Parts: sequence; structure tokens; C-alpha cells
Amino acid sequence: MDTRPALHFDDVSFTYDGTTFVLDGITFSINKGSTVGILGGNGSGKSTFAKLCNALLVPDQGCVTVFGRHTEDTTATYDIRSDAGMVFQNPDDQLIASLIENDVAFGPENLGVPTNQLRERVTEALASVGLQGFERTETAALSGGQKQRVAIAGVLAMQPKILILDEASAMLDPQGRRDLLDICRDLHQQGMTIIMITHFMEETLDFDQDIVLDKGSIALSGTPQDVLTQIDRLHELNLEPPFACKLSDALQQRGVPVHLHSTDAGLITDLKKLYTDSAQDALATSANPSMSKEELQ
Amino acid sequence: MQTATAIIGQYYPVQSVIHRLDPRIKLLGSIVLMIIILCAHSYPMLGVEALCLLGITLCARIPLRALLSSIAPLSFIIIITALLNIFFVQGGTIYLALGPIIVSQDGISAALFLCCRLLLLLISGSMLTLTTTTLDISDACETLLNPLKRFGFPSHECAMIMGIALRFLPQFIEESRIIKDARTSRGAESPTQGGIKAITSRLIPLFTSAFRHADTLALAMDARCYHGGEGRTHLSPLKLATRDYISLGCMAAITAGSFLIGLIG
Repeated sequence: MDTRPALHFDDVSFTYDGTTFVLDGITFSINKGSTVGILGGNGSGKSTFAKLCNALLVPDQGCVTVFGRHTEDTTATYDIRSDAGMVFQNPDDQLIASLIENDVAFGPENLGVPTNQLRERVTEALASVGLQGFERTETAALSGGQKQRVAIAGVLAMQPKILILDEASAMLDPQGRRDLLDICRDLHQQGMTIIMITHFMEETLDFDQDIVLDKGSIALSGTPQDVLTQIDRLHELNLEPPFACKLSDALQQRGVPVHLHSTDAGLITDLKKLYTDSAQDALATSANPSMSKEELQ
Repeated sequence: MQTATAIIGQYYPVQSVIHRLDPRIKLLGSIVLMIIILCAHSYPMLGVEALCLLGITLCARIPLRALLSSIAPLSFIIIITALLNIFFVQGGTIYLALGPIIVSQDGISAALFLCCRLLLLLISGSMLTLTTTTLDISDACETLLNPLKRFGFPSHECAMIMGIALRFLPQFIEESRIIKDARTSRGAESPTQGGIKAITSRLIPLFTSAFRHADTLALAMDARCYHGGEGRTHLSPLKLATRDYISLGCMAAITAGSFLIGLIG
């Protein structure tokens, strides 16, 4: 069994102009089969991070390894790129062919996958994103969400072990974003490592780990519950905490005894319990005003 | 997902015998048709090509509306050429003389003939892109240019550039419309009112956008392991079928027939 981390950053620094470091001494590991959200404001180094994972860029200092292979090793570049598939923000800029089947087949064709296996890979990849039967459809005729699903299928056809989504939901409508997250959940259940780079903190709520970048360094790291409930710190980092965090924080400040929650479900459970307790209290008081709550219980 | 309209460079996905033809045959056919149209010096010769294109359109099951909308963006070429011929070719009966502007019989005849010729040229070019996907066109180009490889010609790269250019053509037309609308909504002059300056101020943002698209596309291609044509396989390898040989025969017959009519005429 492969026990190597899917992705490892060891003291990685990167600069475009030789002076300003976009990433500065980052060290962390991502385990195989985990889901990780990379968060941060504009200019925090998120997209540079994504390109370093895929060997589109190599670090100026430190090293990046994908399943133990160094990204500086040019002989391993195509293995790394097929292992760590990447989906970009704008679906229009990453679709190469005018027909869906040709676009999905582009990656495996480059890898030299034999012709008799290509059709099977295209069919499987399109089925994974819910676009079976769309093989001969023109990409120009699709909605933004469907185009992004084709882009994901194009990466899946290369049979990657890691899927990196670089703000892939940024240009989608709410339904498109939901569909994209559903696809990520399905792929994760099949064992794929998911790395989602995003501005939308709600998208990483059920992930294993969240990493918040700020000016090229890791500002926060931990489970979504740990990271997303640090409301003041998130505001300092120009990030918008999820709605449940903001509401539970506002309720706490007004003296309502709820915990700080990152998910709607957690907050709803707390509020429901609070409501049930207060209803029971009211009922008990009206039934026997002279008895205390403890006595009634 | 299929609409009755199309813009130039856009593939029109229907099942037809023309769509199923080998892209190399279609590319060669288009080139041959264009050469015959350019060599045509009489209406009977153009008539043969028009009939031929009508037959191809019917076989390709392309609606007239889609065909016309695909060539509409380039109709300005026909209009400008016609106007130049009307005003600069002179001879025969003079119909209008307003100072230096003279409209004569020869001018109108030349304009009409050139209009027909250009229209047929645009239709034959458009018919190729309507019935063939961009990757198929680039594959066909690559195969046809392969003999030049031994002289160091980068046939794969040239074909890929052409295929991508065709793939992005509809997108750039759409972006050009958006830039025009954005300018108009802020009170800018239209190209007909503002002349060269108005055209330039539309072209510069279009070029900026094109470079941005090219940059991201190159990254996306790199991320999907693109490294040129070496070792690359194909989802649908090009293979000539009986229908392709029949098409080649038809092409030869049309070429011979056209030149025969030209000789008699």
C-alpha cells in the first residue's frame, strides 16, 4: 500500500520577479484520499500554490513532491501532471476542442493512451460528471456549469489521483457550484484526493482540512470547525466566514447560549435544543408556578 | 443543444454523410472548390459551383439560416468589394454621373460577378467549418502537411495553432459584441461614426483579451500533458472509407466539368 503523502511542500518559496516572494517558506503535507480547502484573499498565493502542485511552476527554494516524485525532476513532469489533474477558473479558456468527446480525450491522447482505450476513458469520465450521452455535443452550446464539468471530465480521463480545483466555482451560478461540490464528494468517496482553492468558505465545510494563506505564508490551518470559527482572524485576512459562524457569533454576543458553529446543521441543532428547553420551561411554569424547574424534572 | 443559427468557424453538429467524410477529403475539397471559384470567369462556371455547393449543403443537412448566419459577419467584405467595383470600374452605358462619381454598366456587371464569386468562396469555407470539428481540421492539416516535416516544417504545431484559432473564433466574435455593447452603453461612437479611431478602440481590448485567453489556454494544455505531436494518439484516427473515395471521384468530375464549361464558354 502506498503510504507516501499525496502532496508534500517542504519549506517552499517562490518568486516571479526575483524579489517579492509570492510563497514564503511553506511546509505541509496532504494525505492520500483527503479533502483540503486552500483559502485566502486576492494575492495570497493560492494560484501559485496550485501551479506548484502540478509542476507548471517549480519552487525557487525548497521542494514539492507528488507521491514522492519531485516536481523539479523533468523526467517525471508528465507523470506528476497526470497524477495531479488541475481544473482552472474559466471553463472557456481550458476547453481545447469544439466537441465534448474530443476535448475529454485531449489529455489521454497526449499521454499516448492506445486508441482502443480512449473511447472507454471518455465515456467513464463523462459518466462521472453526469454528462453521459453528451459526447457529440458542441462545447459552445453548454452552460458555464456544464463546461466546467467537461473540464473536470477532461482531467478525470487522465485517471489522476489528485484533483486540484483552482477557483473552479468562481464563475458558476449557485446550481453550478452545488453540482461541482457534489461531483467532488462523489470523487472523494471513490478515494480521490481533492484540493479546492476557493474564496467561498462554505464550500470547504465538510472537508478534512482547511489551510488559509496570507501574503505567501500559512495564516491558519486545521479542521474547518477550527479554522472557520476564528471570525476576527478571518476578517483580518479579508475572508468572509460562513453564515452559520457569523450568526452563532452574533447570538453569543447577545447572550444566547449557543456554540460557535461552522455549519448550518450544527447551529440548527443548538437552536432547536434551546427552543425545546425554553418551551418545556414555559410549560412547566404555567402548570405549577410555585415549583422550580429542578423540582418539575 | 443545437440551434438553427451558427457563427463563422462554429461546428454544426448533425448526422450527415458530409459530416462523416474524412476531414482530409473535406479540406482538399474546399481548397479545390475555392480554386475553381477563383478561376471562374463566367456565370455558367459559377453556376456549376453554386449547384455543387447547394448539393453539399443539402447532403450536410445544414439549414439555410445557419449557413447564412455563419457568413453574415463577413458580408462587409462583399459590400466593400461591390462598392469599389461600382465606382472604380468604368465602361459601357453610364447610368449615373455626379461629379467624380460615375456608375457605369461595366462597373455594375463587375460588382455583381465579384459578389457572386465572394459569396460562393465564403460558403465553401464556411461549409468546411460547419461540418468538421476544429480538431479534425487540424488533424487533416497535419496529415496533409506531414510530407514537409522532412524539411523541418512544424506541421503539427501549425495545424494545432489553426485548430485553436478556429475553436476561439466564435468566442472572439462574442467578445467583440460585448466590447461594442460596453462602449455603446457609455456613449462611444459606433465604427461607422467614429471611423478608424472607433475600430481601434474596439480592437485593442479584443487583443488584450485574446492574449489573456492564450496565456490560460497554454497553461491548461500544459496541465493536460500537451507536448507536441510526438507519441500522441487519436480518439478517432483518420481512415479513408469507400464514401471518401466516391467523394474524391465526384471532386475530380466537378473540377473537369467546370473547366470544360470554362473552355466552351
